[in-house]
This record gives sequence, structure tokens and C-alpha cells, in this order.
Amino acid sequence: MSEFQEQLLHADEERIKICRKYLSGRNNQIIDQWEDPDFGLYYKIDRYGFIHTDKLSRDFDEQERKEKEVEIQRAQKWLKMVKNWNKFKETNREKLQRRIYKGVPDKLRRSIWLKLLNIENQMSQPSDNKNEPSIYNKMLLLGFKYSTEVRQIDNDINRCFRDHEYFRERYSTKQQQLFNVLVAYSMYNMELGYCQGMSTITAVLLIYLDEEEAFWALNTLMIDKKFAMHGLYIVGFPKLMRYLANHDKILTKFLPKLKKFLDKHNMDSVLYSLKWFFVIFVERIPFSLCLRIWDIFFLEGERVLPAMAYTILKLHSTKLLKFKDMDAITDYFQYKLHKNFGYTDNFVIKTLEISLNELRTRKMDLPPPSDNIELPKCELGTFIEPTIEKKLGLRSSCFSDTEKNVTDLVIARSEENGNSLDVIDENLADEMSNLNTVTNISDYEGELSYMDDDLDDEITYTNSHQNRKSLTCTSITSISEDRRSISTLNQQNFEEIVKDDDGEYRFKELISNSIDCNT
Amino acid sequence: MSYAYLFKYIIIGDTGVGKSCLLLQFTDKRFQPVHDLTIGVEFGARMITIDGKQIKLQIWDTAGQEAFRSITRSYYRGAAGALLVYDITRRETFNHLTTWLEDARQHSNSNMVIMLIGNKSDLESRREVKKEEGEAFAREHGLVFMETSARTAANVEEAFINTAKEIYEKIQEGVFDINNEANGIKIGTVSTPTNPSIGSNLPGGQSSNSCC
Ligand SMILES: Nc1nc2c(ncn2[C@@H]2O[C@H](COP(=O)(O)OP(=O)(O)O)[C@@H](O)[C@H]2O)c(=O)[nH]1
Ligand SMILES: [Mg+2]
Repeated sequence: MSEFQEQLLHADEERIKICRKYLSGRNNQIIDQWEDPDFGLYYKIDRYGFIHTDKLSRDFDEQERKEKEVEIQRAQKWLKMVKNWNKFKETNREKLQRRIYKGVPDKLRRSIWLKLLNIENQMSQPSDNKNEPSIYNKMLLLGFKYSTEVRQIDNDINRCFRDHEYFRERYSTKQQQLFNVLVAYSMYNMELGYCQGMSTITAVLLIYLDEEEAFWALNTLMIDKKFAMHGLYIVGFPKLMRYLANHDKILTKFLPKLKKFLDKHNMDSVLYSLKWFFVIFVERIPFSLCLRIWDIFFLEGERVLPAMAYTILKLHSTKLLKFKDMDAITDYFQYKLHKNFGYTDNFVIKTLEISLNELRTRKMDLPPPSDNIELPKCELGTFIEPTIEKKLGLRSSCFSDTEKNVTDLVIARSEENGNSLDVIDENLADEMSNLNTVTNISDYEGELSYMDDDLDDEITYTNSHQNRKSLTCTSITSISEDRRSISTLNQQNFEEIVKDDDGEYRFKELISNSIDCNT
Repeated sequence: MSYAYLFKYIIIGDTGVGKSCLLLQFTDKRFQPVHDLTIGVEFGARMITIDGKQIKLQIWDTAGQEAFRSITRSYYRGAAGALLVYDITRRETFNHLTTWLEDARQHSNSNMVIMLIGNKSDLESRREVKKEEGEAFAREHGLVFMETSARTAANVEEAFINTAKEIYEKIQEGVFDINNEANGIKIGTVSTPTNPSIGSNLPGGQSSNSCC
């Protein structure tokens, strides 16, 4: 056997070994004790399932209690809305928006996400053969057999939300689902495959959705024009580059003093904002707030990201300006804001609405569109032969032009930031007025904290009302077109692989069998 | 906090070899399997003492997935030290050292001190790369070598501190131009009270003008 064949065999074996582990789950295997996190005797699980080892303060309990109370009060209205979703969406869009900004009751989050991401429609595919596996199941099976991303996915599941009750235990049901969804998706969208960060996104989806739903939700986030996260994750991160450039511009315009300060400390936006854009603020702001950003993101689409990034800096500008060095600043961005954001979730959402408005007025709510298409070029479900390096799991030694450009771009931007201190001065006056906006809204902070639901149907305050009106233009569903290309999926290609000898589909067995004959 | 010098480090190597765990063990003195995934670059810092002087290590932890190298590469510039990490239980991570080294050499200053680290030494039963192999690779490429365990903390302090010592010696020898921040070294603003003479101790008779 040639060395090459040997390496290929080795890579195959490794993939199979990993897949087996997830197939058999927690039973039937030895898991070293150190692999599962130990939370000691005293811990508490918050309402979202996260485990806290430090005692949660009374305020925290009190806040959870209040939140739940408000949500129970609101639940009826929400239930009605979910039932009549289509009608409501068309005739009462404004009310829908207003309610989502005010907060989706956690119990209904699953239903709302399914609606906002149009999951049900994507899943109800027409099929002549009842026994035929779904697209998802086909992709999963193929993924187990051919995905080159298995090793990386396994690696990342091992460190994904291990402080959450669902993901805490190695090979737990949710870990299995996370593995399946990512492996299947790496097959479905082979131009993208798997990129770090997608594990985090999918894990949040899986806290609320089932396995197959999460797969389609992930797909929507990647390829629907409204979110188009595909361009964030592909080689060269083209969309990220545009976001970062836009973010710098926003700072120069609206927060010049802070921009100058960050530049002075070499705090390039690449250093603090990657998780904001890549994983939509997960683990950079408290989870309860993050969920609300996700709700609004699902409703409004990608313009929420630049606005939230701006909002974070706006709200914390005064604090940041006091820091003496880079360590303190990064510590603040990396850990402090996640632990305690310093403002109530409701207040942050209000500020976000104002930011959205500000940016839209100045036409800075989205970066300029790209010249290249940042969506998949091939039809989804098309098999693309992986490179030898991918197959063997090797680092490629040559550096593509796209990659080189990115490196140059990152370097150039950080140097430019160092030199652009003069331009910024001109905008300093503006910044003061911006900061004033923040103090103004804080006047009704108390009032907003736990708003009574009776206000629901009234215009609570002008500022955000204007906001919502202008938001109406974004459409909720632009997925139907994509559905069509999914249904014309490259069938023949997969038929043979998926059917067993008798021409029948028996999915679970199929997976383990296919893995067995590989060995 | 005041320091005599600040050294900038980067930690590089394949994904999953334990870079973030090493950093956490060094800065927080704990092994934490519960930590988030590194996306792009992340950051940690700790103060150490060498030769009676306070030295601050500013450490950049990088994402290992190949896709991210286009971003992480730009942070090689301006590093005085690098920890190049592989996992002794996974041979591929050792096989990839050459490309990592090329990457690092190409994009950093030539004086950067590189420490080769074979991590997860606690998993002896799963070992795939012999210690001798690590030593040989290091010898061949002029690196310092150590096996560590981020889980048991074995050799973790040593890895970071020995790298700092090498940098410090290079400064003493006048190899590093410490007035050029691009070399990853900064002179502190204030000396500690116990070391009133740090400023004038600088090699090459440089003045203690602060650089910040
Ligand atoms: N047994 C053992 N496991 C380790 C050690 N260091 C890291 N790990 C494990 O390897 C996984 C990946 O480590 P991480 O630091 O995230 O890798 P990175 O991608 O290089 O930053 C962690 O989840 C740990 O469980 C070590 O020294 N011993
Ligand atoms: Mg890491």
C-alpha cells in the first residue's frame, strides 16, 4: 500500500471512530472522568439551562421571577398570534414587531423561531415515496460516510456550552444532535463545509429546536438573503471584512473619541468584535439579552448586527474610556460584559432601536454590498469533490490569493487606524450629542424595565415607534425561492448511496451499516 | 500594574491541541474543559519575575482552524515569543509543525523566540508522538522544547517563563531593538520600588524613556 493510501485509510478510520462514538451516545463507551466538567456540589441552573457555580444573587432570582411573571401575562396574546400567524404577519406586522422587541416569552420562543425562519415550510417537502428519507437524513448519511469536517466538528462540540445542561455530558443526546446537524450540513452546503462558530450557532438553535428543525434553521441563516451568514464563514471571510470596515466607519462617525482611544491602545475591531458577528453575540453578552437580539435578528435580518455592535460601544463608551491599558479593555469585552452587561435587557433593546434608526438615517446600517456573490454558487446538495488535503485532514502549505488578501487587509486596516487619528477629531462634537441620546433614554429606564402588557397595543414612546414603522419594509420570508432549488436537489447522485440492496430506506441501520462496511 | 518590560507572545498550533487550556492554566492556574471556542484571536496576560524584574506577558491565543490563518497570521507581527503547540496524542498535529513554523518564520521578526510544546503529556496511554521525536524536531529547527500538560499543569509555568528568559537574555545581549515596538517588547513606564535602577540597567545604555 502506498503512503498516500495508508494516510487515506487512517483518515477514514478516524472519521468512523468519531461517528461511532456519537452514534452510540453516552452508553457503551468509556468516557474519562476529566472529559465531563465537574460543577461541584452547589450549582444552580438558570431558566435557560446554564449551570452557574457561583451563587446567583438574590437580584438574579428576583429578576427571573419578574420576567416569568410578565411572560405568563403575555402568553395568551402570543398564543393567539402564533395561531393566526400568516394573517397577523400581513395585517398586523407592526404589532408583531413591537411585541418581538418587547420580548418573546421563552415558552413560545420555539414556535416564534420556527415561524420567523420559515422552518415548517422547508420541512414539508413533497415526496412520492413515503419511505424515502428526508433531505436531512440523506445528508446525514452521506456526511457520516464522506464528510471531511468530522474531526473538527467533534473537536468543537467538546467545548461547546459545556456549562449547559444539554451539552454538559460528553455524547449526550444534544451533543449527538449537534454533531448530526453539523455533519449533515457540511455535506449539504459543501462550499462552506464547516467553519468554527457554526457549532455555537447550531447549539443555540438546538436549545429550542429539534434536530431536523435546527438543520433547516441553520440553512436559513446561512443562505437566506436576509441573513446570508454563508459569506461570513467562507474562505477569506468576505462578509466579515465588510462588516469590520463598516463598523470602523460607524465608530469614526458616531463615537470618534472612543475610536481614537481604542486605536491608541491598538484595539483593532478584529480583536473584540469577531464573536459579535460570527456567533451573533453569544458568550459576549448575557444569554438572556443575547436571545432577545436573536429574536430581533430573526425578524429584521442582518442590519441588527452592526447596530448592536454600535450599541454595545455606545453604552459602554464612558467606562471604556477610563481604562488604562489593552488588558483591561480586552478583559471587559471578553469576560465582563458576558457576566454582567450593566444595563437591563429592556434598556439595551431600546437603545438598539435608536441605534438602528440612527444608522439607517445615515445609510450606515449595512456595509456597501459586495461585488462578489457571498452566497453558495452551486446548488445546495451538490457533491463537490474535496481536495486531497481536506480528505487527509492536512493543513495545506500554500496560501491562496484570497487568504493573502485578507491578511493584507487586516494589517492595512490596523495600520490605517493608527494613522487616522486626525480625521476623527472632526467628529468629536457629534459624539457628545450621541452620548446625550443615551442619557436621555435612561430617563425612562425605570418605566421600561418591566412594562405592563396593557401598554402592548399602545404607542409607548415616539422614538421607537418611528423606528418600527420604517422597519416594516423587510420581508419575513424570502425563503420560498430557495425551497425550489432544494427540491430539485441532485437526486440521482444520492439515490444509489442511500438505498440499500433491496431498494429500501432504513435510515438508522443504514448509518451504522455504512460505517461498518467502511471498516 | 507597573512592569519593567512587556513581552508579547502568540500561541499557535492545530485546533484542539490545548492552546487555550495552556493559556488558562498559566493565567488562572486552573484546567477548565468548560471554556469557549477561540474565534479569531483572544487574549490573556500575567506578570512574572525574571532576574528580580517584573515582566508582563501579553499573550495572544489564536484560532487553529485553517480557515482562520488568514486573520491570525497578521498577529504574528510584533510578537517577541511564540509557543508552537502540538498534541502528543495526535500525530497529525505533529506532522503539521513544519507548515506552522514556516508561517511563523515568514510573518514574524527573525529574533522571535519559538518554544515547541508537546501538550497533553498526562495522556501517556494515548501517546502517538515520542518525546524524542519532539526533541529531534526542536534541535533540527533551533527551537526550545518541552512537554506539558494543561490538565495537570506540568511544565506550563516553565514553558511560558523559559521563553521569557530567552527573550530577556536576547535583550541583555542587545539582539532585540527594544525601542521598536514591532519586536514585541515594550519598556515599562514605572519601575517597581524595589528596583529603582531598572531604567538605567538597560542594555546598550538606552535611556529609560517610556514608550507608552
Ligand atoms: N488530557 C488533557 N486534555 C487537554 C489538555 N489540554 C487541552 N485538553 C483538552 O483538549 C481540548 C481542546 O483544548 P483547547 O485548549 O480548546 O484547544 P485549542 O484549540 O488549541 O485552543 C480541551 O477541551 C481539553 O479537554 C491537557 O493537557 N491534557
Ligand atoms: Mg483555543
